[in-house]
Amino acid sequence: MKRALTETEAFRMVGRSFPHRDFEQKVQGAMAYADDWRLPGMLYGKVVRAQVPCARIASIEASAAEEVPGVRAILTAADVPRNGITEDASGLEIGTVIQPVLAFDRVRYQGEPVAIVAAQTPAAAEEAAELVQVEYEDLPGVFSPEEALQQGAAEVHPGGNRLVEWRMHRGDVDAALAGAEVLIEETYRTTHVDHAYLEPEAGVGWIDSDGVVTLRVSTQVIEHAREIAQILELPQTKVRVIATYMGGGFGGKEDMTIEPYLALLVWKTKCPTKMVWSRQESILARQKRHPFTMRYRTGATRDGRVIAQDIQILGDAGAYPLLSPRVLFAGAVTANGPYDIPNARVQATAVFTNNVPTSAMRGFGAMQVVIAYESQMDRVAEALGLPPADVRSVNFLREGSRLVTEEAIDTPVAIEETMRAALQGLGPTETATPADPSKRIGRGFGCNIEPYGRTSFFADRASCWIGVEPDGTVTVRTGITDLGGGQAASLAQIAGEVLGVTPDRISVHIGDSALTPLAGGTFATRQLYMSGNAVLKAARELREKLVPVAVELLEPGGGQVEFAEGCVRLRDDATRFLSLPELVRAAESRGVFAFQLTTFEAEVGEFDPRTGKGRTFPDYTYGTHATEVEVDIETGMVRVLKYVACHDVGRAIDPLRVEGQIQGGAVQGIGYALNEEVRYEQGICESTLFADYLIPTSNDVPDIQAIILEIGPGKGPFGARGIGEPPIGPPAAAIASAIADAIGVRINELPITPERVLAAVRQGSIGGR
Amino acid sequence: MSKVPIRVTVNDREVEVWVRPNQTLLEVLHDEVGATEVKYGCGEGICGTCAVLLDGESVNSCLMYGVQADGAALTTLKGLGGDDKPPHPLQERFLEHGASQCGFCTPGMVLTAFEFVRDHPDPSRDEIRTALEGNLCRCTGYTKIVDAVEAYARDQRASKS
Amino acid sequence: MYASPFEYAAATSWEEAVRLLTEAGEDAKVIAGGQSLVPMMTLRLATPQMLVDVNRVSSESIRHDDGHLVIPALTRHAELQNSPVVRRWSPILSEAAGFIGNVRVRHRGTIGGSLAHADPAAELPTALVALRGSVDVRGPAGERTVPAADFFVTHFTTALEPAEVVTAVGVPVMREGQGGAFVELARRAGDFALVEAAALVDLEEDRRRCSGVRLALGAVGERPFDASELAASLVGAEPSEDTVAEVALAATRAVEPSSGVHGSAEYRRQMVAVVVTRALLAAIRRARRPEGEAVG
Repeated sequence: MKRALTETEAFRMVGRSFPHRDFEQKVQGAMAYADDWRLPGMLYGKVVRAQVPCARIASIEASAAEEVPGVRAILTAADVPRNGITEDASGLEIGTVIQPVLAFDRVRYQGEPVAIVAAQTPAAAEEAAELVQVEYEDLPGVFSPEEALQQGAAEVHPGGNRLVEWRMHRGDVDAALAGAEVLIEETYRTTHVDHAYLEPEAGVGWIDSDGVVTLRVSTQVIEHAREIAQILELPQTKVRVIATYMGGGFGGKEDMTIEPYLALLVWKTKCPTKMVWSRQESILARQKRHPFTMRYRTGATRDGRVIAQDIQILGDAGAYPLLSPRVLFAGAVTANGPYDIPNARVQATAVFTNNVPTSAMRGFGAMQVVIAYESQMDRVAEALGLPPADVRSVNFLREGSRLVTEEAIDTPVAIEETMRAALQGLGPTETATPADPSKRIGRGFGCNIEPYGRTSFFADRASCWIGVEPDGTVTVRTGITDLGGGQAASLAQIAGEVLGVTPDRISVHIGDSALTPLAGGTFATRQLYMSGNAVLKAARELREKLVPVAVELLEPGGGQVEFAEGCVRLRDDATRFLSLPELVRAAESRGVFAFQLTTFEAEVGEFDPRTGKGRTFPDYTYGTHATEVEVDIETGMVRVLKYVACHDVGRAIDPLRVEGQIQGGAVQGIGYALNEEVRYEQGICESTLFADYLIPTSNDVPDIQAIILEIGPGKGPFGARGIGEPPIGPPAAAIASAIADAIGVRINELPITPERVLAAVRQGSIGGR
Repeated sequence: MSKVPIRVTVNDREVEVWVRPNQTLLEVLHDEVGATEVKYGCGEGICGTCAVLLDGESVNSCLMYGVQADGAALTTLKGLGGDDKPPHPLQERFLEHGASQCGFCTPGMVLTAFEFVRDHPDPSRDEIRTALEGNLCRCTGYTKIVDAVEAYARDQRASKS
Repeated sequence: MYASPFEYAAATSWEEAVRLLTEAGEDAKVIAGGQSLVPMMTLRLATPQMLVDVNRVSSESIRHDDGHLVIPALTRHAELQNSPVVRRWSPILSEAAGFIGNVRVRHRGTIGGSLAHADPAAELPTALVALRGSVDVRGPAGERTVPAADFFVTHFTTALEPAEVVTAVGVPVMREGQGGAFVELARRAGDFALVEAAALVDLEEDRRRCSGVRLALGAVGERPFDASELAASLVGAEPSEDTVAEVALAATRAVEPSSGVHGSAEYRRQMVAVVVTRALLAAIRRARRPEGEAVG
């Protein structure tokens, strides 16, 4: 690991790995996930879903369902007090389409919820759900953004199928393109992809003794409690969401999943209720990653400088907005890649269709564009006969460079170093030409830029309470949710660093909208930046409150103290110390309380949607992945032989966890590159079995060599940059590049299935070694 | 449909439980016996979160009915370690190597790895990968899981020599 | 996610199983390994009102009997894959079993169940057709033996009459001078097959000229396709890559695979040529091995 940071402070906790309590529980099988709770008298809930993608609801008949023994409630739209999800997820007051909780007059996608059932056993709930009779009258639908934008296309919602269109530009693209010495024009496509976390959507709800509707659910965002209250027309203090440690999220649990349905059943029956979605239901109907169609025109000069890029992106938003405006926004801002392109234009449009609604998924728009901008760079290099790495070097962003929004990058950019490290990590060309004539070897790499933190015009904030108990242990309370990436563990480490306490003596209470100060959800790679900074700030403020007390007792004339090993001591004489319990007692008797509640506010910027200019994201993480693949030119099957992933993370709070994020993200990216797709035909899902959704198994990927660089301090605690999302960006680009090296043809459509490889092999000349 | 009693041992503890024939072994273990470490992930037998050892052999508990397991000796992750037992060395390797992130695949993964090393004490990394191909993980990317299993196998060989 | 209710009975003998099935009528199904049946029930694609569990019926082992292997119906795929007897005397069956699902599926799934289920993409039916094996059946009318060629009627449909059960499977053992290979293409290991080929090649004493060929294809239609006649062109000469390629081409023309999410019909048709070529070449290579040398 390279360190180029200027801080000379020696860290005691930061930079080391600690086995936090939640990981101990997980390896011992003791972690209680959302489905692992049971309450006396608990009912089981089930959603009745539309089987057709676009139809009017003629009638809903529940009498047969009501006859099933054990059924306690069957609810339809009329039973929902306020039947609309109105969260302004975009925060920009764009798009006022209301998504019903339960469809009332029509359905707009296959799988849309139409009714919900609660019964005494899960089998009875399922039986009853099957017996709810819904009569549909088919309506014409649209099933691709291109179709939806045609003249006279059926409208998914009144007012047209264009949900939002972002336009950004700098310089004079048309003039620059005209003057380019090489022009590359290509279209790239990605498809519907599923989060495929191992833990399906699940939760248990009940009404507590204060009449508060309480949900204990697998969710990334506890702030949805307010939305749920609105749906139930309850005061917002009468709904509480407790977030369990999730069995994976990746953005799929960022919008509400089961919450409104579970809440309705609890509220209606007044009984504790559990709801668990089946895997097949989850694949069918839960929000997916946006398919993007991306048209790029890239102009470069002979020396490899990209002087102009014109980009058009169409994103399939599906039947309801959810987070589509934000996803297309992130895609637009990063569509040019980690490159300083003086003349650039981006138009990114989210389009309604009668497909499954699309929303957040790790990478969030900034991920889909990577295949496009990296393939364009490789093509420029090929056209000019220059090494691809050199073309990157010539164009990389630097601190101070401007993006298409004209905002300047204000932290160091170490992407060049990540490229060098990744290529070096891949090693010299050593895999021998295969004896088998049907195999070809190829190598490639891809670079990416991924934002961390929410958009700057959102006024993001995170609050945290921290206190030292009388016995010297430390309590942290903050409303974050834990996806399994050690979100809670990192906070213990940060608090421990500041207060000199080891993480095993720190309890981090998270994710309770009634009891923990709100910190915003875990998404947008914001947690370390926001809550990490919140905990850092709170811990430092608490320390600052306690320091005068310590000084008074240890060195009344004034002196320097440090917090270490569970005590506070003189920096120059460690024999003069107070234990934390002693310090707390002394402080309290002087009216200084050993706790602190604080809010960290993200820097706020302004962005003008009309001009496409202004401050967008607080900062970015840069990385490069390099790979070697073997292509079987008879079958089209691709095997990844070697894989190296390098990111500059600023500071690795816990290096083991950072490696884990990089390796996990890289493998998700490999799945996305080669095999993952949820197939829809005219809005009907063709692949609801988990057996048909091809995520990588241990046998499908090699060891992922993760290289952590700590070069450019970011805006997170101790100079950290977010690492949750960035590693999923480069794989598809690196693999497409490696396949092109192997077979001499570049494939623009994801996933790169064996069929697509075979078609490319037949079309092109066979290159590679 | 009436319930029938079945008798099984779960982690060496005898348990009698009344089940309906259409309750899978997974449902019986998770809901009735309280072995929540056995999990529902897909219902198709391919993800591995429901894996248990039945008379020493790994099976998909989501693809058996509880009534079929009458008389069987079942082992879940807690039968290896944790709860009132000290952690199993394989669990400790998982913890040390960061082989668990969200943890949902962990119970099935550890059981499968345990069974594999028990039967194949000197595996290569590739053999470990093949052995674990029926246990899906979406978080770790598998490298640290292979690291943990490799370390465990090495320790086992060392302690036996 | 939850199977509809059913009555459950565990048989302790084949006679009892047949009797229970006869009494229950057409709403009863046999459950052996359950690895195909239970997911269908969980997804409510199958709703039998009674399950007759045959897992406790017998614990016989595989017998090598006068040039045949007699394999009890309840033999698990894992045993086929790993048993020294099967690996020695019918390695193609061992190889085929290794492609089935994951280790947990192989611990429970049975050969009897796999054959009776007759999934067009299943491995053992294809291997059995290539081997010219047979299926022992017991029913209300008594016992009978059905040749593999007649056993698989169409997708998920066999020659089993109501209340009949598979009790054992017979396959001729590997001969001297014979080599076999089972080749499958799938998107990931253990996934449903895109295409399968099972090939057995006999070479004359000089281990050069081909004296017999058996070839069966799986996942290419509603049931295993016996392509041995197409491969007959190899008999009487020393096989070469060219003559094998001709057989492969002929095979692609003889089948009508359907499209699926893992691969289109056209892709699968193209892959037929690949698996046929690879299976025949591997079978030939193995047939050329000196006697007694272990396979695989």
